[in-house]
Amino acid sequence: MSQGQIEITDIHWLMDILQNIDVGLVVLDTDYNIHLWNAFMDSHSGISPQVAKGQNLFDLFSEVPEDWFRNKAEPVFQLKTRTFTIWEQRPYLFKFRNSRPITGRTEFMYQNTSIIPLESPDKRVNHICVIIYDVTDTAVGRLDINQAQETLTEIQSQDALTGLLNRTSWLPVLENLCSKEAQHAEPSSLLIIDLDHFRDLNRELGHDKGDEILKRLGAALQTLGGETHGARLGGELFGLILKGKDATQAVSTAERLRRSIATLNKGSTTLISASIGVAGWHPSVTSAIEWLSCADKALYHSKESGKNRTTLYQHKQPD
Amino acid sequence: MSAHPAILSEDQRDCYQELTNVAMGQAADRLARLLDAYVVLPIPRISVIESSELNMALQDAGNDSSVSAVCQGFIGSGIAGEAMLMFNDTSFASLAKLMQYTGPLDKHAELELLMDTASILIGACIHGIGEQLEIHFNQGHPVVLGQHCDMNDLLKHGNNGWDRTLAIEIHYTIEHANIECELLLLFTEESVKTLNKKIDFLLD
Repeated sequence: MSQGQIEITDIHWLMDILQNIDVGLVVLDTDYNIHLWNAFMDSHSGISPQVAKGQNLFDLFSEVPEDWFRNKAEPVFQLKTRTFTIWEQRPYLFKFRNSRPITGRTEFMYQNTSIIPLESPDKRVNHICVIIYDVTDTAVGRLDINQAQETLTEIQSQDALTGLLNRTSWLPVLENLCSKEAQHAEPSSLLIIDLDHFRDLNRELGHDKGDEILKRLGAALQTLGGETHGARLGGELFGLILKGKDATQAVSTAERLRRSIATLNKGSTTLISASIGVAGWHPSVTSAIEWLSCADKALYHSKESGKNRTTLYQHKQPD
Repeated sequence: MSAHPAILSEDQRDCYQELTNVAMGQAADRLARLLDAYVVLPIPRISVIESSELNMALQDAGNDSSVSAVCQGFIGSGIAGEAMLMFNDTSFASLAKLMQYTGPLDKHAELELLMDTASILIGACIHGIGEQLEIHFNQGHPVVLGQHCDMNDLLKHGNNGWDRTLAIEIHYTIEHANIECELLLLFTEESVKTLNKKIDFLLD
C-alpha cells in the first residue's frame, strides 16, 4: 500500500470516529456560524449537517442564550484557552431529549460542555470547537443525593411525632442567643414546659391518645405568634425560645400557653395541665446548657409547689 | 509545611518555583485581561505535603471564612494531578462588579463567576506548566466541590489513596478590590517521580 492510500484511510477512519463518537461536536467561527456538525448533533437535534452548516448558532437554536455563551466562548478566541461549562450552571446548552426516552427520569439531556480553541496555521484562533457531553445520569444521581441529604437532615433535626425540632438541633439556636450582642439586638427568653401527670394520662387513655395530646401541644407551640423556636426535648418535656420577648413578656406568654394546654383535651373530661419554667437571659448565662438549667430550676419549682403553674427564674443580682 | 524527608532537592524546588512563576504569570495576565484589573503577582509556595496535611494547607488558604471551590483533574505523559480553585465567599461581590455581571448575586451567579475564573486560571496555569515541560495536559471537566462551605467540609469525600505529594499553592489577589483566591495544584505521588525527572533534565 502506498503512503497516500494510508493517509486517505486514516482520514476515513477519523471521519467515521467523529460521526460515531457519542459526544456532540460543533465547530464555530468568530461570527458563531456552524462549520461542523457531527452525527450526535444531527441525531439529537433532528437538524442534518447539510442544513446546519453555514447557519448562525443563535438563529438556529433560540434556546442557546447568546450573551451567556459569548461570555464563555470569547476567552477561547482571545486567550486561546479552553473553557468549560457544567450542568450545575445551566442544565443544557442545546435542549435535547433524554437519550433514554422510556426509563430516563428527566425530560431533557443534562450537558457539560468544553469549548476548545482551534488554531489555524497562522497561529490565530478563528474557530472554536464545542464538545457536548451527555451527563444526564450523573446529574440525576447528584440531584437524588442532594435531595436525600436534605431529607435526612430534616429527619435528623426533627422530632418525628410533633414535627418540632429535637434537642440536638434546637440547642444551637439557644446557644446563638447566649451573648450580650444577641441580647442587646433583641431580648429573648426561654420556656420549659412539662405536661403534668402524663404517665397517668397515658395509662388512663392509652398511648395513642397520649401521643395525640403531645402532637396537639406541639401544634400549640407553633401557633403562639411572634418568632418562636419550639422543640420536644424528650418524653413530655418541651422547650420554647421566645425571640423579642423579655422575662416579663415571656411569663404572660407562658400563662397564655398554660391556659390553652387545658383545652387540649378537646372537651373530654380528662384534665390536662402543664408546669412551666421561664428564664430570661442574664449576663451570667454564657451557654445554652446554663440557660436551660435556670429554666429547669424554675420548672422544678412549679412542680414542687403543686404543678399547673408558671415560675420565673430569678437571676442572682450582683452584690 | 512541616519538615520531613524531602522528595525534592533544593534545586528541584527552585526549578518548580521558576516553572510556576512563569505559568502563574501567564495565568495572571489572562485574568487581568478578563477582569481589566491589576492582578498582584504572588510568590508560589512549593511544598511536599502529607495527605493528612491537605486540610491544613486548605485551612491556610481560606482563613476561617466560608469558601466556594471547584476542582479539575489533569493528566498527560504519565503526570496526573488536580487543580483546585478556592474563593473566599466575600470576594464574589467585587468579582461580579469587575466581570460586569448584572443581575442578582445569588448562589447561581456565584457559580458562574467561579467557573469563569476557574476556566481561565486553571487552564492557563496547567497549560503554562505543560508548555515548559513539553507535556500536553488533558483537562477533565471541572467539578464543584462546594459552595458556601466550611473549609473542613470541602474534602470530606476525599480519597486517601496517596500519602505524600507535591503541592503548589498560589494566592491571587486583585488590587483595589476585595478579591482573594487560592489556586492549588496537587500532583499524584507517582507523578512526582516523572516530574522530577523532567525537572532534572531542565536543570542539566
